Amino acid sequence: MTAGRTAGRLAVAAAGPPILWVTVVLVGVAAALLPGFFSADNLANVLRQSAVLALLAIGQTFVVVAGMMDLSVGMLATLVLVLAADLMDGRAEATLAAVGLAAAVGIGVGALTGVLNNLLRINSLILTLGTLTILQGVTFIYTDQSLGAPSPAIAWLANGDVLGLPPSFLLVVLLVALAHLALHHTRFGVHLAAVGGAPQSARQAGIPVGRVQLAAFVISGLSAGLAGLVLLGRLGTGYPNAGIGLELDAIVAVVLGGTALAGGRGSVIGSVAAAVVLGIVSNMLNLLEVSSFVQMVIKGLVVIMVILIGQVRPERAA
Amino acid sequence: MALLETAGLSKSFGGVPVLAGLDFAAAAGEVHALVGANGAGKSTFLNIVSGSIAPTAGSIRLGGEVVRFANPQQAQRAGVSIVHQEFALAPLLDVATNIFLGREPRNRLGLVDRARMRRDAAALLARHGFRLDPGALVAGLSVAEQQLVEIARALSFEARVLILDEPTAALSPPEQQRLFAVIDRLKAAGVAILYVSHRLDEVFRIADRVTILRNGVRVDTRPTAGLDHAGLVRLMLGETAGPTASVARCAAAGPVRLAATYRAGEATSEIVLRAGEIVGLAGFVGAGRTHLARALAGHARPHEIEMMVDGVPVAPRSPAAAMRQGLVYLTEDRKRDGLFVPLGVLVNTTAGALDRVARLGVISRAAERRLGGGMLARLRLAAPGLGAPIDHLSGGNQQKAVFARALLAEPKVLICDEPTRGVDVGAKAQIHDLLLALAEGGLAVLVVSSEFGELLALADRILVMRDRAVIRTFRRGEVDEEMLFRAASGDPAVCAGRP
Repeated sequence: MTAGRTAGRLAVAAAGPPILWVTVVLVGVAAALLPGFFSADNLANVLRQSAVLALLAIGQTFVVVAGMMDLSVGMLATLVLVLAADLMDGRAEATLAAVGLAAAVGIGVGALTGVLNNLLRINSLILTLGTLTILQGVTFIYTDQSLGAPSPAIAWLANGDVLGLPPSFLLVVLLVALAHLALHHTRFGVHLAAVGGAPQSARQAGIPVGRVQLAAFVISGLSAGLAGLVLLGRLGTGYPNAGIGLELDAIVAVVLGGTALAGGRGSVIGSVAAAVVLGIVSNMLNLLEVSSFVQMVIKGLVVIMVILIGQVRPERAA
Repeated sequence: MALLETAGLSKSFGGVPVLAGLDFAAAAGEVHALVGANGAGKSTFLNIVSGSIAPTAGSIRLGGEVVRFANPQQAQRAGVSIVHQEFALAPLLDVATNIFLGREPRNRLGLVDRARMRRDAAALLARHGFRLDPGALVAGLSVAEQQLVEIARALSFEARVLILDEPTAALSPPEQQRLFAVIDRLKAAGVAILYVSHRLDEVFRIADRVTILRNGVRVDTRPTAGLDHAGLVRLMLGETAGPTASVARCAAAGPVRLAATYRAGEATSEIVLRAGEIVGLAGFVGAGRTHLARALAGHARPHEIEMMVDGVPVAPRSPAAAMRQGLVYLTEDRKRDGLFVPLGVLVNTTAGALDRVARLGVISRAAERRLGGGMLARLRLAAPGLGAPIDHLSGGNQQKAVFARALLAEPKVLICDEPTRGVDVGAKAQIHDLLLALAEGGLAVLVVSSEFGELLALADRILVMRDRAVIRTFRRGEVDEEMLFRAASGDPAVCAGRP
């Protein structure tokens, strides 16, 4: 019984996260169906489109590994987008201030969420549903219509290219490397996994559970702030509805990427790969001229399928 | 020279003393067993010594120095580690990480030095002869292997005192033997081991000395060599009140209601319950009583159990199916799987019998009130009203509501797991009367209880379980508390008798 279960786990581990296989299949299908898919321009475009989601997914991975969820990131990114757009209003010299603002707002809101989480000890899903609503309210109090514009540097970050690759995606790659290091090679990362997998055990081992959770929210907030800037660069204006619903896509990417939804184990590389896969899917469907509503249905089906592939059911298998 | 010593150690909870002036000493290289009946104060003592709770009075010395532990981490750093019955491991991390959780080695860059962690873990495991892969995920390990990880973690603090709380409760016999070998090696290495177990045969097998606790007081500390099983049980129980005054009842045992063959591991047990009979199921934590009781009520895997009800083979695959066959189980854990918590008393009572009070799927509140209220009145439940939230009632009245629900299912066989746990004396007597009345009325009743006195008072026969098998059956009148205790704790002189 135990042997069978272990064998099952090993088989899954050896096969790698299912997301990689899905990527391979998808790219194959795309290559066969769509002659335009493999052009350098189109591939760069896919990465460009995926960057915002990838940034959000990196931060969300930390929160999910810690056994929680952060629903506020879509709205937090939107708030940052609106504030930064208003601050820069297209002026080149305001870029640095806008980056500072994005980081400060992201970290500040993340820290606030973390503190509330420690004080109130309520389910993170409910807590961040609350902060999401508050952030949405604040955003619309600030403006109910588009305002401002990104500086040229921010626009370049989102739309430019460096050796054929979008700068935003290079930023993602850099952050993934850092996040991977933090998640798998620092005490913080190990403690995060312990807290998510077995909070009581972590407490008994002397791990400061509250502080670890707070740090996860701060990372999630910071990544949402950066995502807000990139999104602003893509849209070209501070549109207060810009990031609605992105939090769900981010959680989908994290889970597709092989992070345990219940916490305790995760991979930022997987999360970002999943964000790109979601980008490929919508790119393919766009090229096939499928309506965006049909696309939603297809996306939902892909999510369910991938989760099914990745699910091991020990008690049935044994 | 004692390595770990306590003087006058006392603890009260809300003014009630649970440990009163305990003097205790354990030497390096000694396996020191700690025994006592439920409520003797063992857990409190262990929790104080390992830093989880602070004593009300008294002192602890470790290697001659007075120590005070504010938390378990301090105790660990000082060299006192405990392995609880419930493990504290992170399942999705590997063995090495679990061993060093909370104090991972770091390299010059401040990153976790995984290579060193694996190396250190491998060295530690090899030193103590544990066959574990430092890189294996804890979730994939067996219970015995997880226990070794816990022990390795405890030892990684350079433990001088290792406390093992019921370490064999979840282990199979071969795994138990391997654990004993581990203990022998640690003992040779000079570790003092405090060993807590209900299984007295193990105490004789591995302990050098044994300290007996009763009602928060140390009765005695003796070398195991000069003791026998019966003598130790007498010390634990104190003055036994002679044969228990059991209810005079001439059980006219009727036809066989339930006949079951239960398989767990290598062992096979036969269980027969007759109409009008109360059968007791005795045993200690980890003996597998609840598993057997639940197996009879539709919670079993198909290969675990074969049953006949009234001579007809049945194989219920769910509690609902078991109920249709007349097999009804009353949980030992009301709060978790007995009560519907914010709901009222009446709903809690009729929840399983709504079909009987509904017409076309619509519940008639009047009929529900008649059916549930009638049953509750029969059980003499005291509540401010039938709508009163169930959790506002006393334990005894909560239990009566759960009982009422079970009886509304019209059982042929009633399986009660710890039916009087957490109820007051008055309610307990009423529940006992009820069980006797139900048996008189032709029901077959199985009572699982940790209180041997309760079984002796109620049961016509008592089955004793150990290691997931029924090892002995006693008839009413041929057994007393001491004998039951000896059988359940594995005294070969008692268990040698055929079941």
